[in-house]
Amino acid sequence: MTGFLDISFLTVQVLSALRLAAFLFLISSGLTLIFGVLNILNFAHGALYMLGAYFMFWVTSQVTGPGGFFLAMAMAPLGVALIGMILEMGLLRRIYIQEEIYQLLLTYALVLIIDDLAKIVFGAEYKSIPKPAFLEGAITLFGGTVPTYTILVVVIAPTVAALLWYLLYRTKTGKVIRATSSDREMADALGINMKALFTLVFAFGAVLAGFGGALAGPARTVFPGVGTEVIIECFVVVVIGGLGNLWGALVGSLLIGALETVGIIVFPEFEMGLIYLLMVAVLVVRPWGLFGKPLKIKALSEKNLSFESQEISPVHFSSRPWLWVIPVVLLLIFPAFAGRFYQYLLTQIFVAALMAVAFNLLLGTTGLLSFGQAAFFGVGAYTVGLLLTKTGTGTMPALGLSLFTSAVAASVIGFFCVRLTGVHFAMLTLAFGQLIFAIAFKWYGFTGGDNGIQGIPVREIPLAGLGLLDIGSTKSMYYFVLVVAGLAVAFLRRVRSSPFGATLKAIRENGQRASYLGINVTLYQWTAFVIAGTFTGLAGGLFALMERSISPEIIHWTKSADPVLMTIIGGIYTFVGPAVGAVVLIVLNSYIVAWTEYWALVLGMVLLLLVLLLPGGVIGFVNEKARDYLTRSGWIRRWLFSKSATS
Amino acid sequence: MALLELASVNTFYGRSHILFDVSLSVGKGEVVSLLGRNGAGKSTTFRSIIGLTPPQTGEVIFKGERISGMRAFRICRKGVGFVPEDRRCFPDLTVRENLEVAVRREKQTSSPWTVEKVYSLFPRLQEREKNLGSQLSGGEQQMLTIARTLMTNPDLLLLDEPSEGLAPMIVALLADMIIRIRAEGVTVLLAEQNLHFCAKVADRGYVIDKGSVKYEGKISDLLGNEEIKEKYLAV
Repeated sequence: MTGFLDISFLTVQVLSALRLAAFLFLISSGLTLIFGVLNILNFAHGALYMLGAYFMFWVTSQVTGPGGFFLAMAMAPLGVALIGMILEMGLLRRIYIQEEIYQLLLTYALVLIIDDLAKIVFGAEYKSIPKPAFLEGAITLFGGTVPTYTILVVVIAPTVAALLWYLLYRTKTGKVIRATSSDREMADALGINMKALFTLVFAFGAVLAGFGGALAGPARTVFPGVGTEVIIECFVVVVIGGLGNLWGALVGSLLIGALETVGIIVFPEFEMGLIYLLMVAVLVVRPWGLFGKPLKIKALSEKNLSFESQEISPVHFSSRPWLWVIPVVLLLIFPAFAGRFYQYLLTQIFVAALMAVAFNLLLGTTGLLSFGQAAFFGVGAYTVGLLLTKTGTGTMPALGLSLFTSAVAASVIGFFCVRLTGVHFAMLTLAFGQLIFAIAFKWYGFTGGDNGIQGIPVREIPLAGLGLLDIGSTKSMYYFVLVVAGLAVAFLRRVRSSPFGATLKAIRENGQRASYLGINVTLYQWTAFVIAGTFTGLAGGLFALMERSISPEIIHWTKSADPVLMTIIGGIYTFVGPAVGAVVLIVLNSYIVAWTEYWALVLGMVLLLLVLLLPGGVIGFVNEKARDYLTRSGWIRRWLFSKSATS
Repeated sequence: MALLELASVNTFYGRSHILFDVSLSVGKGEVVSLLGRNGAGKSTTFRSIIGLTPPQTGEVIFKGERISGMRAFRICRKGVGFVPEDRRCFPDLTVRENLEVAVRREKQTSSPWTVEKVYSLFPRLQEREKNLGSQLSGGEQQMLTIARTLMTNPDLLLLDEPSEGLAPMIVALLADMIIRIRAEGVTVLLAEQNLHFCAKVADRGYVIDKGSVKYEGKISDLLGNEEIKEKYLAV
């Protein structure tokens, strides 16, 4: 390790760290600016970065030579700004009054749509962007060889930072932006046009993302989906620095740039995990980031109160328990009528539904948006996978242990996460999830790394005195998963309707008032987190059994989006909503994938329409309509509501 | 014609009904006070006028034009200035910046407020010009929010409980300032719990309780009306 003392080596490494920091800063400064003013964590910011790079690619392919390069450099940010304005005015503007989750989801839908559109227009392959000849070579600095382009990047980024500072601190518009980000309502009352300012800020954030993409394009490559990689790094940067804080973004970028550069040299196996480890460490010590301040709790009057009414179902299963018998019987006789494909499809749905229902104990019941549920799913799946392949453990003990390991993981992770709320909570769960992903992905000796685990043996289950139960066939696996997941869901239903569940709902409605009533809010949230994590782990264990092979992909953050999507599709404030969402998502997926490769595009469109038109989800919508209809016909009303009124 | 006229305003927070048929009027050049206890509906009346919590029924007429239903920034640009009760200086902006972001309607006004002009009214702010909003004392914050709203060159100033939580010496100072602001041609609607403070600056007063107007008349008459004072004001 004497290399560290070598000045030429140091120069090369420092410059490469600075280059990385420069790219990160350009993108995350826009992200943090948009969050500061609009209060939206823009998932689509990475997609805007990608569009900037594609603009660069397209313009340089039309106009060659240095002229084309600089023309592209100017056109890309403007083009992306235009797209940003259209997105803000056409879509985002409609959902500012709604809860955070719908805003996150809308920008997530945009990611899916923009990525697939890029694939359609430019193709799925990696594109490289030519540099003009004079930026192509390398220069020698303190004995180290540094690409000329790196020097350009390292000079441009601080210039942009200085311009940003000037804009925000020395111009009237900048001062207005800073004023608005600290008190929107007051700015409104002082005559500042919020709508126009929001569009301006979003477009300006898009300019920064587009410029970042244009500058990074020639140094890296561009491909559909590059945005999802970039956005997560930028989330880490802005969360470490403090959401909405420009200096935070600067310091965060430098930290991550340095850490990744050092990580690649010193700790190459775990380089990816290091940045998440840093994020976890920072948030544990300073929950709001290095330069951040606690976010104000949204006043109840600001929330959209109409959704809560959708929680009330017109058909009261609790007062007529026998109504539950119908779906149960249908599911039990289903394999007699359907082939193996459908049995397998339904088994998939059971697993997904269990995960989504468990997740909704956090989101719908407690009001906590976790973006790291895939971690617990993965812990459960790997527990079963490793135990069955590496030891002679039986199926049931392995499944039982998957409950235990995921409960342990959830208690540890939950301990740190429940101290945060809102977007910060979502980001910390995301960081922990990615940390676990990084471990599974890189620890070849234990988890098999990116190869995952194949050929998991599913052993017969001994039934006391009744012989052995073989769940190897599709049909028997169907029944096995149905019973296990069914019991788990029934338990979760019980939890939700218990006094404990009612307390969780009170916390969701107003955590502050709940704590005034003497409720230990953090303890309740932690317990809900552990229950949700444990049952998500069970779903993971079942997944390992039915698929017989697992890979780290199941822990990636994009998988954590699945239960969120299912819950929103089905209906956030209802118990069966997430399960219905699981049906919709999996059935849609299996049919749409059959006739188009652009599944993400379709899913994105569905989400977009859903957020804009049916924010209460399918079940919320059905409940509302059914209630309208039923209350109009007197005898049905008397029949259905007679008992529930007294219960 | 009155400068500001509220006609049977009904305002809700979500599903809860807060203001019940509130009607009042403020003439040009007057200082009118809106008296009532905590939770009587004073702040909601102000929020209804400025458009932050728009009324569901009823009308707000300003200079003969219906402003209810307009967005807050439009109402501000028509010449209504709002000083909220919880002050709300922009904490990350300096005192001077707090004033600069609010500059508005300079061309519609014959002698517009400038930073220098508000400094002569509140000399303390000039001394603290480079401090951040979050570094000010309560009294200084109150001065800053009033000064900031003056920068929008309002014809009507809505002052929500300016004396609340301030030391008696500062309150006396504040009364002088309101009189000077009025001398500059600004009409003032003042929400207060403190009748004696109102008596120093206001001509007329409305008493509001449980979201509806209970009494209307001269402040001097109100001072002698023990029944109203006993029933609706904490004196």
